[in-house]
Amino acid sequence: MDLQTQESLTHNNQKEPNMSSPHSSLNEAERKALESALPMWKIVFFQFKEHKMAFYSAFVILFFLIVALSAELITKVTGLDPNRQNVGARYLAPMTRAEATDDIKESAVEFYINQHSDEAKKLAAELRAQKIIVASEDPANDNQDALFTLMTKPTTEIKATLAQLKDVDSTHYSAILKTFSTFHIFGTDEVGRDVLIRLIYGARVSIGVAIMVAVFSAFIGLLIGGIAGFYGGKIDMLLMRATDALLSLPTIPILIVFSAVDLSKLPMIKQMMNPSYESIIKMFVIMCLFSWMTVARLVRGSILSLREREFVLAAKTLGATDATIIIRHMFPNVIAPMLVAITLGIGSSIIYESALSFLGLGIMPPTPSWGNMLNNAQEVIYKNVWLTVLPGLMIFITTVSFNFVGDGLQDAVDPKSIRR
Amino acid sequence: MGTYILRRLIQTVVVIALISYMCFYLMTLMPGDPVELMIQSNPRITSEDIARLRELYNLDQPAYVRYFSWAKDIASGDLGYSRTYRVPVQELMGPRLKNTFVLSFIALLTSLLIALPFGIYSALKPGSRVDYFVNFLSFGGISIPSFWLGLILIIIFSVQFGILPAGGTETIGVEHESTWAFIKDRALYLILPVISLSVQSIGVFVRYIRSSMMEAMRNDFIRTAKAKGLSRAVVVWKHGFRNALIPLITIFALSFSGLFSGAILTETVFAYQGVGKLVYDSIMANDYNVAMISFIISVSMVLFMNLLADILYGFADPRISYT
Amino acid sequence: MTIARTLLSVVVSIGMAGSAFAKATNNELKIGISQEFDSLNPILSSMVASSYIRYIVNRRLTNLDSKSKWQAQITKELPTTENGLAKIVTVDGKKKIVTQWEIKESVKWGDGTPLTCDDIIFSRTVALSNNVSIPEREVYEQIEKIEVDPKNPKKCTFTYQNAIWNHVNQLGTFYLLPKHLEESVFNKYKDQKEGYEKNSNYTKNPTNPGLYNGPYVVSELKLGDHISMVPNKHFYGEAPKIKRIIIKLIPNTGTLEANLRSGTIDKISVLGLTFDQAISLEKKIKTESADFTVVFEPSAVHEHIDLNLDNPILKDIKVRKALATAIDKEQLVKSLFEGKQPASLHFITPKDPWYTDDPKSVTTYRYSKRQAAKILDEAGWKEDKDGYRYKEGKKLSLNFMTTAGNKTREAVQVYLQNQWKQVGIEIIIKNEPGRVFFGETTKKRRFDMAMYAWVANPENNPRSTLHSEMISSEKNGWSGQNYPGFKNPRMDKIIEEMDGEFNPKKRIELAAEMQKIYTDEIPVLPLYYRTDNAVIPKNMKNFKIPGHQFSETNDVERWTME
Repeated sequence: MDLQTQESLTHNNQKEPNMSSPHSSLNEAERKALESALPMWKIVFFQFKEHKMAFYSAFVILFFLIVALSAELITKVTGLDPNRQNVGARYLAPMTRAEATDDIKESAVEFYINQHSDEAKKLAAELRAQKIIVASEDPANDNQDALFTLMTKPTTEIKATLAQLKDVDSTHYSAILKTFSTFHIFGTDEVGRDVLIRLIYGARVSIGVAIMVAVFSAFIGLLIGGIAGFYGGKIDMLLMRATDALLSLPTIPILIVFSAVDLSKLPMIKQMMNPSYESIIKMFVIMCLFSWMTVARLVRGSILSLREREFVLAAKTLGATDATIIIRHMFPNVIAPMLVAITLGIGSSIIYESALSFLGLGIMPPTPSWGNMLNNAQEVIYKNVWLTVLPGLMIFITTVSFNFVGDGLQDAVDPKSIRR
Repeated sequence: MGTYILRRLIQTVVVIALISYMCFYLMTLMPGDPVELMIQSNPRITSEDIARLRELYNLDQPAYVRYFSWAKDIASGDLGYSRTYRVPVQELMGPRLKNTFVLSFIALLTSLLIALPFGIYSALKPGSRVDYFVNFLSFGGISIPSFWLGLILIIIFSVQFGILPAGGTETIGVEHESTWAFIKDRALYLILPVISLSVQSIGVFVRYIRSSMMEAMRNDFIRTAKAKGLSRAVVVWKHGFRNALIPLITIFALSFSGLFSGAILTETVFAYQGVGKLVYDSIMANDYNVAMISFIISVSMVLFMNLLADILYGFADPRISYT
Repeated sequence: MTIARTLLSVVVSIGMAGSAFAKATNNELKIGISQEFDSLNPILSSMVASSYIRYIVNRRLTNLDSKSKWQAQITKELPTTENGLAKIVTVDGKKKIVTQWEIKESVKWGDGTPLTCDDIIFSRTVALSNNVSIPEREVYEQIEKIEVDPKNPKKCTFTYQNAIWNHVNQLGTFYLLPKHLEESVFNKYKDQKEGYEKNSNYTKNPTNPGLYNGPYVVSELKLGDHISMVPNKHFYGEAPKIKRIIIKLIPNTGTLEANLRSGTIDKISVLGLTFDQAISLEKKIKTESADFTVVFEPSAVHEHIDLNLDNPILKDIKVRKALATAIDKEQLVKSLFEGKQPASLHFITPKDPWYTDDPKSVTTYRYSKRQAAKILDEAGWKEDKDGYRYKEGKKLSLNFMTTAGNKTREAVQVYLQNQWKQVGIEIIIKNEPGRVFFGETTKKRRFDMAMYAWVANPENNPRSTLHSEMISSEKNGWSGQNYPGFKNPRMDKIIEEMDGEFNPKKRIELAAEMQKIYTDEIPVLPLYYRTDNAVIPKNMKNFKIPGHQFSETNDVERWTME
């Protein structure tokens, strides 16, 4: 985390002062066209497109985000549920089909009877009347047992039976049949859950946490760096020494200590959040606490140089308050490098989250995250290699994409690198 | 310059003392104490046992009292006693520190040796195919989770091909005929951990070296040097590289200290007998003495490395003066 | 690039030379463990892995054999009231038991010094010192005094504080220190807090053979890495067959397995692979016809769920019954454990003489979702549209906690969550690292349901887990392990009577009554007994997992490779 942002830090420090470095390959007309006709964001976009890897990576990220955000939709369409277990089909190889156990079938029928009681009643009565299924229970029990007994038979037989009962509506009953045989593109995990859908939900958690951490820590960094840079003097020294001290702390051990502290003891937090998300929120808070420092340094550097600029002096003489000057006049000037820091921060946050979950300190099951999927898989890496490979690959692809986008943005907002 | 170093040294020591108290306090905030861990593993412990052990371990005292008695022991050279291993801390940590140092140092050296030529080359030929390729690989390196890479390496090299040991520090119970045989044995066990640890830092270093070298080569004096008709080697190394050195020193110092705590994951995956694993275990097992010493070593390394970097700037760049 | 290629070929060639897939022989046995071991000082160490090692290098007065029967180990005979070596006496109106012990003639420390009763007395003195951080000293404390026979230093008399029937069992964890080596250290540092620990020969000079009296002595020790042991020349028993045993610590169980596959270790101890791993390894071995066997043995570790009886929902016995009825343990065992970890009825294991499955003394809960639903309906919890049950607007929702990172437990947890969901109970999983879970949550009873395990030693009085005085609270310094908060006067009474009951038949009756109360009241949902597993070379003989608290290494001298 530190090293990467550190790198972007020097980049930005170096690019402020002299705009006169050589990029003379442009002719006068081209430059005019570039500088006058295009607004800033268009220049940036134009530049960004030049960086091919970054451009493609942006699409990869977009794809991941869309998939992650439409996780529920995918569940609806395919019927794959990240928490649906099938203990009869643990550790299935990729591209295999699994049959549901009787237990699952039974609860599906139960659910069906609750939801579509009219259809169930008619269907059961019909089954009994036609003597297709003779359940031992008396008719007072709504003949429900017939529905259960029928369900335990092979699918083809059930279909044939239902075909016989043409006059009775059985659409919902046959609909649940479909859910009994599931196809697993990436196989199943230790309790028979589908790996693909868990990867998708995991993407939501892993990327979600990472983005939030990067944005929030950038915000904290902006605030602290801004104050330190603007006021200078003792405040600056105090804030910067604190930053240094935090930077010098060994990150992983400290994260371990913090993960062990029980946040739910704070009553306020307990009321605020759903306990199932506790581990996610805790993760987020811990990571934010330890990743704002580099941004703070970066912002402070920029603000320090901005402080001496004419427009700040002008604003001051016009009687603007400190807050106005900082927020209205200074922050816009640091937005570009911040954007870069955020993107790079997302990449490293994903890795950090996975590392902590890998150590068993991060996101708690059954909420899937790539890190805890990897952690779950490491015991069986020799038998079920794909369980190890897939989440790791996802982490890798996402991180690399975010890093490329960060690099692309960096080049794009760097005035010196226009048309290298 | 002497007074500058002295002042910085004093500041550093003060910061270490403050941080050590902070760490100590943090540890006390964690749920459970060493005695509770014993209770958990042994249902037959009585409440008398608990009271006796609490008193023996000073756990009945407030945190700051314990901190000062701990600090007093440290000052008198007694690093304390590991409650988990039931041996003095120095005996426990000595060999492990050495192992971690060996691993981290080799990984760092490997990363530098690989990153330097690639980084410089791609900086000199920006936009070339090699640059593109190097860039691509370095991004890949930055983005690979090291522990995952470790697992994959084990699957490939130890399980599939069986050519490298899956984990450990050295072959146990073998009498080595010569030092060479010993080194060879150790090297064998180091290959995979070093790879998994260096890949990320190679990526970071390459990016770093490339950008600072490019920055340096854009300077006016490079143009002047070129115009003077100096040979390319002189221009690149004497004028370009020397100016790229300052940021390099920073990154070197920072990563040197980072490797210490970054090795936790690698050491866990490879069962490498280093201090990283010990730090993790000591925190989880509430082994105060071991965890505290680890924190202090870790923090001191960062701070002193930063100090060293600042001092080295002076030699690398005569424009920087210490006042 | 060429440089890289040559480098790679060098690496590969070194690698080839380094890992020879030799068949295990009696020359050397390399055992992998995944748990940490601490100091070898027998009275100080508290880690399970240390006791694994301890039984290779140390012997005790008594031992539980692999058939779960108590045997004399370094002593000649177990004292019983029948053979007259144990007597109940009354001193000042208080009943006490006095036992006589005689150490076998040939028992010596590894340096040839005979082991005598003086060593026993010295060990007790050290254990009772207030400056020594011994974890649990009841074993040493309950012996009031030890007197040596003036004519025979190998003969001594123990006088206990009370008349207890299980004095033999207790001595299984009475560990011995060599007086001739440790006394000077102890005398020098005994007034200093933890001074003995820091300077004991086990710490400073662990390869001194005089510190050990078992079949092997330590020849090399690197804490946290490995330990190697060679046969003890002065061992009193059968001569060990294996010339060297190396125990290697590999904390990551995945790496541990890789080490076995690459030939770096020959055997994985019971403290090695997780259950899931062992199962999958067994399957894989079958297809590969590798040179290993995976051994399974049900152990005394009882996995269960503590129900917090102070919780308003769980206070209702109907809800507890519904919880028990809604779980299909048979299917759990079949599908998650391939039938290898047996489902449990209560806290006593089938190997225990106290065990019973007689329906008269054990209430069983047969799996039936509909039955469970019915009980919940009766209790006033009605199912709503969302599939969950509500009573007076309150949702039937419980949190379910266990130690994070334990794969088997986590798999069981999600399995149960699913089963309870089917009867309309919402289960919120909240797992914590072991230190938080045991250090705070269970201790302070901040849970609704907590899943973890107890070691159910044979004929063990469950005082600390079921007596109402042992409900952990601030008042008793959070010391008891009655985490459910179970209060039953009859249970308290039985527990108190148990220790003084010398008639084995009566004890079995008492135990049966205990089980009746336990299964009727269900303060705890019993789940299954854990199964130990070990991986051994195919040609290894005389290896047996005992399945109780004392480790497989008790028979180490008989192990051999053929």
